[in-house]
Amino acid sequence: MLRVSDLAKQYGKANRPLFSALDFAVGSGEIVALVGESGVGKSTLLNCIAGLDTADRGSVAIGPQALDIVALDETARAALRARSIGFVFQAFHVLPTLTVAQNIGVPLLLCGVPAGEHAPRTQALLERVGLAGFAARWPASLSGGELQRVAIARALVHRPALLLADEPTGNLDPRTADEVLALLLERVREQQTSALVVTHSQHVAQSCDRILTLTPNGLLESGCARQ
Amino acid sequence: MISMRGLPATRMRALSTLSWWLIRAQFKTRRAATLLSMLAIALGVALGYAIHLINDAALSDFGRAMKSVQGDPDAVIAARDSAGSVPLATINAIARDPAVLLVAAVIETRVRIDNAPTPVRLIGIDVFSAMAMTPDLLPRQDEQAAAPNILDGGVYASPALLARLAQSAQDSQSSQGKDFGTRAGGTLKLLRGEQQWLATLAGDLPVARPDDLLLVADIAWVQARFGPADGVSEGRVRLAPDTDLASWRQAWAQRLPPGLLIRAGDDDSARVSNLSRAYRVNLNVLALVALLTGAFLVFATQLTAVAQRSTQFALLGVLGLSPRMRLLQVLLEGVAIGVPGSLLGLALGYALAVTFTQVLGGDLGGGYFAGSAPLIVPALAPALLFLALGCLASLAGASYPAYLNRMQPLAQALKTGFAQRPPADARPAARSWRYAHSWVRRLPLLPLLLALAAFALAQLPPLFELPLAGYASIALVLVVGIASAPLLTQLLFGWLSAQPLPAPQRIALQNVAQAPLMAQVAASGLIVSFALTASMVIMVSSFRVAVDQWLDHVLPAPLYLRSKATPLPLDLLGALAAPAAPFAKVERMANAALTIDPQRPQVALLIREIEPRDPAARLPFTGPLLAPPAAMPAVWISEPMAEIYRLAPAQTLRLPLLGREVEVFIGGVWRDYGRQFGAVVISREDYQQLGGNFQPTDLALWPLPGQQAQATAWLAPWAEQYGLEVADSAAIRRLSLSIFDKSFAVTYALEAAAMLIGLFGLAVTLAASVWLRARELATLGALGFDRRMLSHAVMLEGALIASVGLLIGLACGIAIGAILTHVINPQAFHWRMALAIPWTAVFAGAVITLAAAVLASRYAARQATRLPVAQVLANAQ
Repeated sequence: MLRVSDLAKQYGKANRPLFSALDFAVGSGEIVALVGESGVGKSTLLNCIAGLDTADRGSVAIGPQALDIVALDETARAALRARSIGFVFQAFHVLPTLTVAQNIGVPLLLCGVPAGEHAPRTQALLERVGLAGFAARWPASLSGGELQRVAIARALVHRPALLLADEPTGNLDPRTADEVLALLLERVREQQTSALVVTHSQHVAQSCDRILTLTPNGLLESGCARQ
Repeated sequence: MISMRGLPATRMRALSTLSWWLIRAQFKTRRAATLLSMLAIALGVALGYAIHLINDAALSDFGRAMKSVQGDPDAVIAARDSAGSVPLATINAIARDPAVLLVAAVIETRVRIDNAPTPVRLIGIDVFSAMAMTPDLLPRQDEQAAAPNILDGGVYASPALLARLAQSAQDSQSSQGKDFGTRAGGTLKLLRGEQQWLATLAGDLPVARPDDLLLVADIAWVQARFGPADGVSEGRVRLAPDTDLASWRQAWAQRLPPGLLIRAGDDDSARVSNLSRAYRVNLNVLALVALLTGAFLVFATQLTAVAQRSTQFALLGVLGLSPRMRLLQVLLEGVAIGVPGSLLGLALGYALAVTFTQVLGGDLGGGYFAGSAPLIVPALAPALLFLALGCLASLAGASYPAYLNRMQPLAQALKTGFAQRPPADARPAARSWRYAHSWVRRLPLLPLLLALAAFALAQLPPLFELPLAGYASIALVLVVGIASAPLLTQLLFGWLSAQPLPAPQRIALQNVAQAPLMAQVAASGLIVSFALTASMVIMVSSFRVAVDQWLDHVLPAPLYLRSKATPLPLDLLGALAAPAAPFAKVERMANAALTIDPQRPQVALLIREIEPRDPAARLPFTGPLLAPPAAMPAVWISEPMAEIYRLAPAQTLRLPLLGREVEVFIGGVWRDYGRQFGAVVISREDYQQLGGNFQPTDLALWPLPGQQAQATAWLAPWAEQYGLEVADSAAIRRLSLSIFDKSFAVTYALEAAAMLIGLFGLAVTLAASVWLRARELATLGALGFDRRMLSHAVMLEGALIASVGLLIGLACGIAIGAILTHVINPQAFHWRMALAIPWTAVFAGAVITLAAAVLASRYAARQATRLPVAQVLANAQ
C-alpha cells in the first residue's frame, strides 16, 4: 500500500510551491490514475514518492511496514525501491546490452533473490505477459509493444508493494496500448500490488479504480472511474 | 551469512552477477576503446617494469662481477689516484694488526696480448691468500701441458679470454699463416706501452665469470715486469670475528697516508647504484608519463562510457542500485581494464627486458653497464608493485567518471540523458566542487597561483640529489594548462560566438565557448600530449645544439689517435717527433682516475699538453679564467665536477694525486658532456713537476697542410701493430651525434604514443559529445541543417578544441622544455645548456596535429550526420 501525508514540494530559486499538503492513499490491489495539466507536478510527485526527488515536507509510507521514504537516506531509499517499488516508463527503458530474461532478472538481483529462483520466476512472468520464447532475445529485435511488456514483467517480477507507471502507453499505437494496459492492470490486480498511474489519457484513467487530479490548488478526487 | 559492509552474501553474489553483465556488455560494445585503454596501461607498466628488471639485473651482475674479481673482503685499501699504489709498508702494517685476519695483496694492470685489439686485465695474486679471499680467481693447472705453475711464472686465462684468443688465432692463421699459443704450454706476448713480455699459458680460471677477459699470474711475477716496485694496487682485508668494521675503518683512516682510502662493501654498492641513478629515475619518470597517459585514456573511455550509458545507470538507480554501487561499478570497470592491461604490461616488460639485454646488454642505453649481458630474473614483489601501479592508474582514470555516475540526478538522466556536471544541490561536496569550478572558470587567479607555485618549485635545489621539485613543477605546469583551458576558451570564442556568423560556425563556437565537460576533456588530452611532445623536442634540440657546439670546441685537431687504457708505445711517439712525420703539431694527453668520494664514481684526471696561459684555446669554459697564485698548480674542473662536489673557481682543492694530497687552484670551470661524474684537467708541466710520470694514451694530430691523407696512411701501420684507434674529427662528431640520437630514440617513440593517445582522446570525446547532443543535432536537422552543415559544425568544433589544446600545449611545452633544460638536466646529470627552441619543428608538429585532429573529428562528424533525425526526435518525446 501507499500513504502520502502532508507532502509539499517547492521549486526554483524563489521557492515557489509546486504542490503542498497532499494527502492520499492507494490500497493493496488498487489502481489509481493521477492526471493533471502539463507542468502541474505529476512527474515530480511520482519522483518524490519513488525517492528520486526530495520532498520539502510530509511523508510517503510504502508497503506493509509503512516505511517513510522521505525520511530515509539515499542508500536506504535505493534499497526500498529495489524491494518494494516497480516502475513502468513511457520510454520503456529496457537495457539494450542485456537479453530479455536478464532485463527482467535485474530487480531479482537487486533484491538479492537466490539465483535458483530467477529462471522460474522470469519464465513464468514472460508467459503471463505473452513473451514465452523471448527470454534469449535482445531488446533491439523487439517492437514497442513487446518492449513495454518486458518492462511490465520487470516491474512486477520481484512482487513489489507499489507499482509506479508514468504514461505507460504513451509511446504505443492505440491497439497495442489497449493490449498493454489490459495486461498491466490484470497483473497488478493478480499480485495485489498498489499502483499509481500517471497519464494524460482519459481512456487509461477511466480504466483505473480511482482518478486523482493534481491541480495548482491540490488534489481532487474524481471517484471510482470503473464503477 | 553476512559479508563486508553488512550486505548479505546472496545479495553480494547477485550484485556481482549484475556487475559482471554490465562489464561484459561494456567491453563488447566498446571493444576498440577498451582495448586501447588496456594497451596504454600495458605500455606504462611494461616500460617501468622493463627498466626495473634490466637495471636490477645489471646492478646484480655488476655487483657479482666485482665480487668475482674482488672477492668478499670486509674492506679494501686502495690508492685514490688510479696511477698510484698502496705501499708495501702499509700492507705489512695492516697485516700486523691483531684485528685483521688476512690481507690479500693484488696488483692489477691492463695489457694487450700480441696484436689483439682489446686490452685484458692482468691480475697478480698471492695464491695462498686468494684461496680465502678470491676463490673465483684461483687458477687450474693443465697437468698434461709442459707449463710452469703459477709460482714459477705460469699465467692463466679466463674462459672468455681463451675463446677470444682461439678466435684471433683462427683469423690470423687464415689470413697470415701465424700461430698463437692458445693452449696450455703456448706462449703469449704481453704488451703495455713499449713494454713487452713473454708468458707461458699454464691453464685456465675455471670459475671466472663468462664475460670477463682476465689473465691471472703470481703477484711477484706481475710486479717484476709491470711494477710498481714498492707497492700493490689494492690490499683486500678480512677482519677477525667480533671486530667492528666502522671503528676499525675510522682508526685506520687516520693512520693511512693521504693518497690512500679504505672502501667497504657498502661503498661499492652505493657507487654502483650512483652510476645510473639519475638516468634510471629519468626513465622511470618517462614510464610514469606513459602510465599517466594510460590513465587519461581510461578516463576518456570511462567518461564517454558513463555518458552513453547514463540512462541505463539511471534506470538501474531507479530500480534500486544504490549510488555507492553505481560508483563502484565504474571503478570496477576501471579495474577490469587495469588488471589485464597490467598483466599484459608485466609480460611485455619481461619480454622487453630479455630482448633488450640480449641485444644491447644491461646499460639501459646510458652506457653505464656496457658490455654486460645480465640474466633477467623476475621477482614477485616488484611484479606485484607494477601490477598495483597499473591498476591504480586505471582506477585513478575511472574515478571522476565514477563520481559523476554516482552524482547523476536519476529522474533527469532518465529523461534527458547525461548531466555533464553534478547537480548543484546534490550534496555539499558537489556544491563545493561547483563553487571551485566556477572560480576556475571565472578568475585567472587559480591558474596564476599555480603557475607561480610551478615557478617557485623550479627554483628549488635537488632533493636526495634528484630533481624531484623540478618534476613536481612539470606536473604543476600541466595542471595550470588544463585549469586555464576553460578561461582561454571563453576568452577566445565567447565574443566570437556572439558575432553574426553563418549557422554552422556559430553553433560550433557557441558549443565550444560554453566549455562543456567533453570539450574540456578533449582539450586536456591534447594539452598534456602536445606539451610533453613539444617539451621533449625542445629539450632534445637544445641538448643537440649544445653538444654540437661543444664538439666544435673539444675537437680542434683534424685527427685523433688513442690506445685503449694502456700507454702509447714510445717508438710511435719518437717517430711522430721525427721531421719525416707528416704532422705540423701533436698534442699528447694521458688519462687517470681519482677517487674523491668512495661512494661516488671516480673523477677523470686528464693530463694535457695545454698552454697554461690560454687553456680556453682547448677547453670550453663557462665563466672567467683565473690565474693561480705563485707556486700553486692550476686545474680546470668540468661542470659536473663543480656541481657534484660544490666547487667554484678561485677555490683551492686538495686533489688525491700521486699517492698524496696536492693543493691545487681551481682556475675555471669548463663544459663537459662526455663525463657525467666529473673531470679535472691539469697541464703536463704541472703534473710532471708534481712528480707524475706522464704516459700519453691519446693524441690530437694536426697534419701538415694538404697532407691529411698521407698522415692517415702514415698512422695506419702503427694502429695495426699496436691496436690503436685512429679517427678524424668529422667521424668522431658523426659518431657522437649518432650515439646522442640513439639514446633519445625511446623518447621519440613515447612522444608519438602520447600524440596518438591525445588524438584518440579527442576523437572519442568528440564522438561522445555528438552522442550526448544527439537530440540537439537532430533538432537542427529537423530545422533545416543539411548533413554538410552538421558535419562542418562538428569538424569546426574539433578544430577549435584542438586549437585551444595546441595553443596551451605549446605554451606549457615551452615552459616544460625550459624546466627540462635548465632544471632537470643540470640537477640530474649536471649538464647545462642554453634553451634552443626549434620553432619550425614545433609549429610543423602543431599544424600536423591540428590536421590530424580535424581528421579525427571527421569520425564524430560522420556519427552526427548518421543520426536518424526522426527516430532521435521520437525517442526524445
